Amino acid sequence: MSTLIVIDQPPYGGWAGREALDMAFSLAAFDQPVSLLFCGAGVNWLRKGQEPGTVRQKSVEKNLAAAPIFGVEALLADSDDCNRYGLEPGRLLDGVTLVRTDAQLFAGYSHTAFAG
Amino acid sequence: MQDSNPFSFTIVITGAPYSSQAPQSALNFAEAAIKAGHRVERVFLYGDGVHLASALASPPSDEPHWPREWSAFLEKHSIPGVACIASALRRGLVDEGEQKRYELSASNLLTPFVIAGLGEWVEGRMTSSRTLYFHGSD
Repeated sequence: MSTLIVIDQPPYGGWAGREALDMAFSLAAFDQPVSLLFCGAGVNWLRKGQEPGTVRQKSVEKNLAAAPIFGVEALLADSDDCNRYGLEPGRLLDGVTLVRTDAQLFAGYSHTAFAG
Repeated sequence: MQDSNPFSFTIVITGAPYSSQAPQSALNFAEAAIKAGHRVERVFLYGDGVHLASALASPPSDEPHWPREWSAFLEKHSIPGVACIASALRRGLVDEGEQKRYELSASNLLTPFVIAGLGEWVEGRMTSSRTLYFHGSD
């Protein structure tokens, strides 16, 4: 039973994405297979060199760097949305897999949850 | 009407009452599911959804009191209602235990809700036949 957690909202403007990330880490902590999909404005989570100090928030880049350590299986990003936001592969965090967000992708998971 | 193949549901609410319709839609769903012979295994409040467990909400008397309506529903059907501890502490929702731990001036958790970790959600997903999410508007 593998779960896909979908983050479709940009970082820093709200807490839903962070809380979705906590859900993914929690599943991994209980040895439940889980992957994260970033799509829409959510692909901005994966941008290298984030400096959110001026908005007094912790960098989500650091949180995501910990994902493989916590046991999150894959960080997926919608390739069209990466293009839309000017995220060429060199600007993405390490370890991100570009995918097409389509029915075939979702069919590979038994559970899907969106950031609230 | 009874369904011949009853489901068990874990319901996750992430939208707050009075800023989203999530608690209301979730309650309508839960009532309909039980009426149709299904089972609601647990309700998990996450993110802004934890505001549903506040004992201090005081809407005008001519508006539905969603925290009390949910509380009565959970008690009537003996369904566990769990508010995520990390979401709850950030938003100022605490039980007596957390009040003591953080030396706060009050506690405000409505019965029968309890505060616990995301493990409750993980377990609900594993044991229920379906997990449904009721989100806010953003």
